[in-house]
Amino acid sequence: MKKIYKKVLILCAAVLFGESLSANEQVELKEHFLNKINEVILVVEDKKISKNIRNGNIIKVLTPMFDFELMAKLSLGNTWKELSKENKDRFVKLYVERMKQSYSAKIDAYKDEKVEVKKIDQPQPNKMALVTDLVSKDEKLEIVYKFHKPKEKISAKDSWLVYDVEILGVSILKTDIAQFKEFLQTKSITELMDALAKQS
Amino acid sequence: MRFVYLALLSIIFSFSGCSSKSIEEPKEAVAQEEKSSDDSNGELAGFADEFEVKEIYDPFSGYNRAMTGFNDGAYEYVLKPVAEGYKAVLHVEVRESVRNFFNNLYFPMRFTNNLLQGKFCNAYEEGGRFVINTTVGVLGLFDPARNHFNIEAHEEDFGQTLGFYGVKSGPHLVLPLLGPSNIRDAISLYPDSLLSPIDYSEREYWTLSDTSAEYIAAKSLENINYISLNMDRYEKMKRDAVDLYPYLRDVYEQYRDKQIEE
Repeated sequence: MKKIYKKVLILCAAVLFGESLSANEQVELKEHFLNKINEVILVVEDKKISKNIRNGNIIKVLTPMFDFELMAKLSLGNTWKELSKENKDRFVKLYVERMKQSYSAKIDAYKDEKVEVKKIDQPQPNKMALVTDLVSKDEKLEIVYKFHKPKEKISAKDSWLVYDVEILGVSILKTDIAQFKEFLQTKSITELMDALAKQS
Repeated sequence: MRFVYLALLSIIFSFSGCSSKSIEEPKEAVAQEEKSSDDSNGELAGFADEFEVKEIYDPFSGYNRAMTGFNDGAYEYVLKPVAEGYKAVLHVEVRESVRNFFNNLYFPMRFTNNLLQGKFCNAYEEGGRFVINTTVGVLGLFDPARNHFNIEAHEEDFGQTLGFYGVKSGPHLVLPLLGPSNIRDAISLYPDSLLSPIDYSEREYWTLSDTSAEYIAAKSLENINYISLNMDRYEKMKRDAVDLYPYLRDVYEQYRDKQIEE
């Protein structure tokens, strides 16, 4: 009887150990994320430098955390596979530039706002969602950062990378997928790329 | 001795999840290379379910597109310049009070829809907010309920109530000046208007406006005031659109789905 107890105990300990590994991963990611946000806030608050340089600095801080390249590929849905190598490269370049500009402009508008992490979901071992609140004087905006962990670490990038951001339930990537799909029903990929080039 | 074995075994067992993956990896990579020289297929497969695109039934797309163009023009050339002038004249704190005043008036709508969805706790908090803000907050001009008592508003409207009970959104519909909506939410404007004290129809109780002219004036003030407080929001959002109508449609529907889910 005693032996069985021991076995059960060891098994429990082992399971708990495994659990705590993933819990550690979550805590690590949360800390890393908050550090990044603090870094960004320092840049945003530095009103002495010009807006362009400030945006450039925001991009520099954030780029290692975002998988813009993956977002570019996903944004085209099935069309991605049909593109030629040149078009693929050009599209990714344009999309990444557009995301960087759009995101840094959004963040530059932050004023006395605080970021609070509400909870962390881990639906799969290689995916995590950080549910955050952007708290300002008179409202709370829920922003979810979705991270994935690529099988092989990409050089100059973090090990966990953001592949989608949901603002009040509106997914940036889903919106792009839908609008690109509709655009391509009547227009060509070249026209889409021209439109993206105009945005950044 | 057996004890040690067991311990080892269980530890190996707990790690096997990780190790089996690392063994599989090269195999997958090889298979991928065989399928195509493109590196992305395998990488993208893991996200296929998450970003499945639903076919959107959009019978009014022609009208919606035209109305989106009209609304955008109205915003750029009328509402925004007016709101800019308004913003220049009135201090931000005054404008916040105007917003708070209108928000407080919509209490019956929020309260009733919270109740209808069985969110009694939220309805109770809404009741508390109304009492505090109407008295201590001087007829709703201030929001001490949030600032001092930490009671947040719980936005609910009849469209959300219908959605809560499983009513589908129906085709997307862009309303003149009010912007993106859908059949469900557009119809819901009527029951909500019955709960709004800003109305010009005959009522047995006090309403803010008695004539349609007063009603339009009150509504315009509310909206111009709102725009003046959220000046760049629409522009920032619009920036990311390659085609404005489907972009706004998608943003609206995703946002409503999320509100209903809560």
